[in-house]
Amino acid sequence: MRIRARHLRLAVQTIFLIGFVALFWGLAWPQVPGRVASSLLALDPLTSVGSALADWTVPGWVWLGVAVLAGTAVLGRFFCGWMCPLGTLQQLVSWIAGPNRRARAKLNRYRPWFAVKYVVLTVLLVWAAFGTSHVGWLAPLSLLHRAVASGLQPLWKGWASPGGWFAFGLLAAILLLSTWMPRLYCRALCPTGALLGVVARVAPLRIRRGAGDCTGCTLCAVPCQGADEPLGDHRVSECHVCLNCLDACKESGLRYGLPAEGSALSTPALDVGRRRFLITVAGSVVVAPVLHAAGGGMASRAHDAIRPPGSLHEAAFLSRCITCGACAASCPTGVIISDLGRSGVDGLFTPVLAMRRGWCEPSCIRCGEVCPTGAIVTLEPAAKQAIGGPAEVTIGTAFVDQGRCLPWSMETPCIVCEEMCPTSPKAVWLETIQTTRRDGTPVVLQQPHVAPELCTGCGLCENRCPVGEQAAIRVSSVGETRDPANRMLQQRST
Amino acid sequence: MSITREPTAPGDYRRIGRRDLLRLWGPAVLAGAAIAGGGATLHGRPGRHQQPAESTTPLPPDWRVAAEGPAKLAVAGGSGPVENLRRALAAVGGIERFVGRGHRVAIKPNCAWDRTPEQAANTNPEVVAELARLCLAAGAASVTVVDNTCHDPVRTFARSGIAAAARAAGAAVAHQGNTATERRDLGGLTLGTWEVLRPIVEADRLINVPIVKHHSLPGATLGMKNWFGAVVGSRPSLHQQIARVSAELGAAFNPTLTVMDATRVLAGGGPTGGSLSLVKPMDLVGVATDPVAAEAWGASLLELSPDRLSHIAIAEQLGLGSADWRSLVEEV
Repeated sequence: MRIRARHLRLAVQTIFLIGFVALFWGLAWPQVPGRVASSLLALDPLTSVGSALADWTVPGWVWLGVAVLAGTAVLGRFFCGWMCPLGTLQQLVSWIAGPNRRARAKLNRYRPWFAVKYVVLTVLLVWAAFGTSHVGWLAPLSLLHRAVASGLQPLWKGWASPGGWFAFGLLAAILLLSTWMPRLYCRALCPTGALLGVVARVAPLRIRRGAGDCTGCTLCAVPCQGADEPLGDHRVSECHVCLNCLDACKESGLRYGLPAEGSALSTPALDVGRRRFLITVAGSVVVAPVLHAAGGGMASRAHDAIRPPGSLHEAAFLSRCITCGACAASCPTGVIISDLGRSGVDGLFTPVLAMRRGWCEPSCIRCGEVCPTGAIVTLEPAAKQAIGGPAEVTIGTAFVDQGRCLPWSMETPCIVCEEMCPTSPKAVWLETIQTTRRDGTPVVLQQPHVAPELCTGCGLCENRCPVGEQAAIRVSSVGETRDPANRMLQQRST
Repeated sequence: MSITREPTAPGDYRRIGRRDLLRLWGPAVLAGAAIAGGGATLHGRPGRHQQPAESTTPLPPDWRVAAEGPAKLAVAGGSGPVENLRRALAAVGGIERFVGRGHRVAIKPNCAWDRTPEQAANTNPEVVAELARLCLAAGAASVTVVDNTCHDPVRTFARSGIAAAARAAGAAVAHQGNTATERRDLGGLTLGTWEVLRPIVEADRLINVPIVKHHSLPGATLGMKNWFGAVVGSRPSLHQQIARVSAELGAAFNPTLTVMDATRVLAGGGPTGGSLSLVKPMDLVGVATDPVAAEAWGASLLELSPDRLSHIAIAEQLGLGSADWRSLVEEV
């Protein structure tokens, strides 16, 4: 068998798919540098453009996506056909369980509704320009990563993540749809694909027809991934550069490269009229502030929207976070979940901490190390430990719920929250009291109090509290250092 | 659908010339360079959502008038708010000593609650209006009556009678609902930076016009606590160290004059009051260039010793004036 271009492509796809899985495990493995572990997430060009529009910056390794985008101007959508693991998974599923060859010849033709992805892209970019990036909702690497990190990983780690299940459902739907039509998500919905499609229109390297006559046999459509019709007016903006058609064509000699002498240089227009584009922009402009109103703003001070340590203040955080779930996958205690409602619509799928599932390990800074966009910055390990005095970075404050607390309300000795408290001096301290039980027997109790200036909000007390489904000591976001407005204590004159 | 491509333009089927190469590569190179250049420009920038650095712009050091006057504290009583004010003011040298041609004057009453003048939770509107009238007569370019109310500002300024009285006197009315703020470093140990209502930041002369009132936490609301109304933000947290904060506010907003309204004194249930049985008519107005003396005199009306109000001692330590009001006062 001759080695052909598509064999090379399959090899690269395999490497990226394996790399994606390997680096996913690497997130939780501190020996792997954090930026390396999340480097594939930074490859998505939509992440880069979203960050550039939302926060006017291309942070850290997110320049990788810029390089992919610039390369697309010459090579076409090689990212889709060669690199994107969500594309590879769909391709795999439709190869195993997809339509037969006869059906593919019909299914792999271009349809006008494939242009929906350009609408999706326009909406997301307009919203990003308003300062809150939602590109991660549908960007393929974020979506896939979130589905695995917050949707699938809980299956073996044993905790649920509401936003993660949503992402997992979306992933399942995408793969299921690809059994009907290969790469339906890439063709019709993917905003990254749309972005690359716009840029690919200028690519000089593309599928070109040779000298022979096309007989209209449609054999090239059978293995075609992008439904870009190499047999007609080849739609370079739809082409995934999978190169399958090169081998399929028996007549005219399809090839990938520069135009031969005597061939056309025209590029078919995008299937997006000016009218539809303007309506989409106008609609997104109207909706953007509504999203803010439904979340963000004061919702940044939702008591249970506790952000990972090192998170930027809410406006900056929401402009950077691509909801990929790398922080959740990296967390050794599993305290980080994908949000569904705590931080409003703007904060959908962003990371929040659920202290009944885990706690923020005092010396751990892994979530900041792996965050591909710098929404969570990397702290010094000492910054959030509160050894010898208040911590430099805190994520919230613990409050004793006296009505549920055993020594406060049930005349039952318990000191677990104080015992667990990792700060020094301890933020949770005990007041010894003497009282009587209902039957009159005397009892000495130690009732917990919290010193708010020492509490880091790590949540170990809440995590270990023996009071069942809802702890008697709970962390809320007030006192988080990232938001000077979300605090209760006035600066002390000392 | 045609699947054999026909020439779509006369130039399509031909040798690839220099112009075609440009057409082929030009857009790709331009797009690639624009993307790479844009990315390189934005790479590593801090981002547009970085929180602005804390303001280090200070307030004006104070609004005092340097020259010595005949008295540092004058108290007038028994003749109604307007006449009491005039007489007390005359005893400290008259308004002309403090306000001149072209000055922008800010008057800060205690206008915090949706209460009528009879309920004595806000400064008497006649005192405010007469003061505004006198300033304008002395040549002031503008007089703005300004406060950050606790209740809804429009209702509060209306019910207190202060909006109507001030406007009738020719003054403007400013509150947190209709006025911008400026971030300023208040320079205190505990205060940090705050949003300050702009008419105060921009004022050439600043006159504090508090009412003497009972307050549940410090015991009394007098002149220095009244500066809570100059700032906008999370004021509730200021109550954690109210004595120190009040004194530091008194230092940050060191006024030209303090006009202490004791026409009606709220003797209990403060700072909101409500029931008329809590109100003690006293028919007094004090005018002081020494804010600490005014504070101590106001405390005496509530039968509170300066020890009970520790902010007075702190204000003295900060050098704002003397708590020994009895040796300074001139009763007219």
